[in-house]
Amino acid sequence: PFCPSGKAQSTIKPIRPDPIVLIKESSNVRIITLNRPKQLNALNLEMVSRLLEVFHAYEEDPNVKLIIMKGEGRAFCAGGDVAAVVNDINKASWKIGANFFSKEFSLNYLMATYTKPQVSLLRGIVMGGGAGASIHGRFRVVTDNTVFAMPETALGLFPDVGASYYLSRLPGFFGEYVGLTGARLDGAEMLACGLATHFVPLEKLSLLEDALCKANTSDPKVISNIIDEFSNKNPKLKEKSQYFRLKTIDRCFSRRTVEEIISALEKEADKNMDDWISWTIQSLKKASPTSLKISLRSFREGRLQGVGQCLIREYRMVCTVMQGEFSRDFFEGCRALLLDKDKNPKWKPSKLEFVSKDMVDRYFTALDDRDWEDLKLPARPKSNLPSYAISKL
Amino acid sequence: MDRVNFRAKVLTGHLKNHENLAVDLLQTAQCVNYSPPELSEPLPDFNTKSLRKLLDGESMDEIDYIFNLMIKSHLFCPRERGGKVFISPDFNKSMEHQREMTMRRIDYLREQGAFDGWLTRKGPDAERSGFARGITFGVYDHSLGIKLGVHFYLWGGAIQFMGTKRHHDKWLKPTEAYEIIGCFAMTELGHGSNVRGIETITRYDASTQEFIITTPCESAQKYWIGGAANHATHAVVFSQLKINGVNQGVHAFIAQIRDANGNVCPNVRIADCGHKIGLNGVDNGRIWFDNLRIPRENLLNSVADVSPDGQYLSAIKDPDQRFAAFLAPLLSGRVTIAAGSMNITKIGLAIAIRYSLSRRAFSIHPNEPEVLLLDYPSHQRRLLPLVAKTYALSFATEYLKNIYVNRTRESIKTVHVVSSALKATATWHGMRTLQECREACGGQGLKTENHVGHLKSEFDVQLTFEGDNYVLMQQISKALLKEISAAKRRNKPVKGLGLEHLNKPAPIIPSRLTSSTLRTAQFQTDIFCLRERDLLHRFETEVSQREAQGENMEHIFTVTYQIAEDLGRAFSDRLVLQKFLDVEATVPAGSLKNVLGLLRSMYTTIVMEEDASFLRYGYLSTDNAAVVRKEVLKLCSELRPHALALVTSFGIPDALLGPIAFNWIDANAWSSVKDSDTVFPVFTNML
Repeated sequence: PFCPSGKAQSTIKPIRPDPIVLIKESSNVRIITLNRPKQLNALNLEMVSRLLEVFHAYEEDPNVKLIIMKGEGRAFCAGGDVAAVVNDINKASWKIGANFFSKEFSLNYLMATYTKPQVSLLRGIVMGGGAGASIHGRFRVVTDNTVFAMPETALGLFPDVGASYYLSRLPGFFGEYVGLTGARLDGAEMLACGLATHFVPLEKLSLLEDALCKANTSDPKVISNIIDEFSNKNPKLKEKSQYFRLKTIDRCFSRRTVEEIISALEKEADKNMDDWISWTIQSLKKASPTSLKISLRSFREGRLQGVGQCLIREYRMVCTVMQGEFSRDFFEGCRALLLDKDKNPKWKPSKLEFVSKDMVDRYFTALDDRDWEDLKLPARPKSNLPSYAISKL
Repeated sequence: MDRVNFRAKVLTGHLKNHENLAVDLLQTAQCVNYSPPELSEPLPDFNTKSLRKLLDGESMDEIDYIFNLMIKSHLFCPRERGGKVFISPDFNKSMEHQREMTMRRIDYLREQGAFDGWLTRKGPDAERSGFARGITFGVYDHSLGIKLGVHFYLWGGAIQFMGTKRHHDKWLKPTEAYEIIGCFAMTELGHGSNVRGIETITRYDASTQEFIITTPCESAQKYWIGGAANHATHAVVFSQLKINGVNQGVHAFIAQIRDANGNVCPNVRIADCGHKIGLNGVDNGRIWFDNLRIPRENLLNSVADVSPDGQYLSAIKDPDQRFAAFLAPLLSGRVTIAAGSMNITKIGLAIAIRYSLSRRAFSIHPNEPEVLLLDYPSHQRRLLPLVAKTYALSFATEYLKNIYVNRTRESIKTVHVVSSALKATATWHGMRTLQECREACGGQGLKTENHVGHLKSEFDVQLTFEGDNYVLMQQISKALLKEISAAKRRNKPVKGLGLEHLNKPAPIIPSRLTSSTLRTAQFQTDIFCLRERDLLHRFETEVSQREAQGENMEHIFTVTYQIAEDLGRAFSDRLVLQKFLDVEATVPAGSLKNVLGLLRSMYTTIVMEEDASFLRYGYLSTDNAAVVRKEVLKLCSELRPHALALVTSFGIPDALLGPIAFNWIDANAWSSVKDSDTVFPVFTNML
């Protein structure tokens, strides 16, 4: 999870006029609104806990048929409130951070294997943890102003919240590209690559919401048809869309290692240099070398695993990052991008070649700590899971 | 009249039922639901990744990388079934289409750098990674694996092992980059396993410093040459070399057979071998040479050369030894086949076991849910011993890979014997397993998209290529006999091939076996060693008796085949058990070690139950055989809770298993009918 705004540190106020998760009931539909607009709805422990509680309750509740997720203000959700996490870790212990991620990943798993349909209306920014809170659900509706990104490698982290599951399943090696470079996608690109299921023009989004409430159903086919009615089936990709570069992306991002990916990109650049290639190379060179290596390995493993296994692995990784014994890049990244804002992080190790296989392996093994344990996924019902959820197990 | 009454009764029954249909439906509208085994089965009590590490060792990352490359390309026929995407080889497509697609896939893989360093990197790690690649491509489609195997292991291997620096410098890089496509022209219509009998002739013309290759008769046409029919530009041609009228035996030459535009070269004729029962993505062809001239440098001269003026030069005087050196590239082929066979076995078992954990049939008590297939003891007996055997043989093939990549001049004999034993044992086990899995899946096993049945015809060829399995078994026995005779002659203890146990007194088998005895490593080792020792003794006795009567050696070996085959199996089984114990010894005490112990006991017990030699030669009394048989059932029920975890640890990605391994109800739902035969076009909704 990642919050680009950096405004998230001073969040704990003694009195909160509005609940940070708003819930509206309309017959059998529940509309959940993330309500921290000033922080671009960045997820903190309280929000994640509340969502987890609500999702558990609605699964049991026969009166709930459909869940709609949206965000208040100009963002759906800009990610997890990492600045708050770093603050907590500095003040107390990395285990507070681990606790946050354990809750967040449990929520991701619950959404991915949910028995009832979730429709996420993705206005504005959807990044990091915000993607985790929507992409796993059955329907992802994007619109004219949607901006998606998993920018963690620039922050010394790695795309988590189950990204190794969903990014690794995008066409070709597009997921590696998006996850390693932090590239921003718009709504049309998200629909084209499969991150979104529908594109609905901004002005029709509230009409869609009303129609869904009126339909009051949990039948995915009916829901899909309703969204279709408001959809633009074929939103035009912008002329310079990176999605048109899929062939080059496949050729370069399919390589075994990050080093080979960069040298393949440089070979492409020799043949045909343009803004996109130079941006791509630059963003890889700016990112934390450790982050790039663990992210690539995570995607590659994720492609062959179910969503639960992905989250368990990512939890090991994120705890290793929070523990900060092998690399402190995450803390350095937060300092440089969110606190001091000098935008000049000093990564350690500073180069890809200094990040050995053994160092990468550390992130994928159980932590050597007495009270640490692997992520315990919430139990799932044995019989009435929809096939959409079964196929993710 | 009875018949008429009976029919009338039946018809009335139908009509009556029809009237009540609506009511009946309402009362019994309980549908069968798919419940994923991941949720219904107990959680694995050991770490499945650690178990997989024992199977795939160092190569795990390389294997997964190759899986990733294939899963992510639209060239590998992705299809959506029941919410998941599966990739599978072409079927229901013409031979020409399959061949074309195989080449396009190779092109894609080359472009992604998947072949980088395959031939140009040296050393055990590079060779290990080569095996991992070749075998993993074959998991997707045997044709792809074989097509690459011919190019890299056979053509590339021939250049590496039979050629010298001048060949390496000239040919290896273009081979890796697919600028040229190689094939391996050894087998002829008239000669397969008997390579020394091939009839192609090559002479030398000192005036132009060229060799001239000739196909003297129809039986000398090169046959089954993979890659020759459509694509290969170059061939390693095996031929008798005649110098100054003297036949110097079989040698290998490089010949160009097509030009860069794909036209067949002058003085070469090529024809297709035609449609096969499987492996149609490989263009097997036939080649005739009409006095084809090739430069002198094209003789692969690692063991023998011809000087510019036409003198035959060889460091190895003995033609037999020269011949053995020639066959070195075939060894890597056997290693690949043995290991590849284990992979398809894993696919078959993963599919059949997952299906049997979600499919039910018959209730034991009225009004109770039907019983899961794998909860029937008979179903367990059909599948679980095969799982244990697959683990045992996989550990052994991993050992074979290791001794191959670390081979020395001294160890090459061991590699030869072990690769023969495991190639035969593993491929027999593979075909038998696929047949059992096919039946265990019932009608679903017949559907090509479910893989199991399709794999049977695709992999059948393994039983005979690179050495007919029965011939290999006899060769092992001959090699063992040679070993112990040599030791006796020198009056020294036997060393190597795991035969050291022969130097010790014969093990004693308890007269009354119990369940706990059957599970001890000591007993298992004892009875497997006893069997090998006794059969070797019997074989030796029979051969020497016949020899004393003046029979010729070749004849003796042709008539002693029964015992030779029994001995070959005994050697192989004992070897596999030892390698299993070696692997077990590396695992710390705990749940994983316990499961390995169960698997090993299952392996040894099932060998004792199934191989007739234990009763035939009296290693087991009939009473003890009954104890063994009972133990199999017990072991089945103890392995049953681990079934899912055991096939998960195989590490075969979901996308390479068939739809019946997952949500087979949704995969067959009416809503999926309209697009059931279209290849999945876009990935827009795959998340």
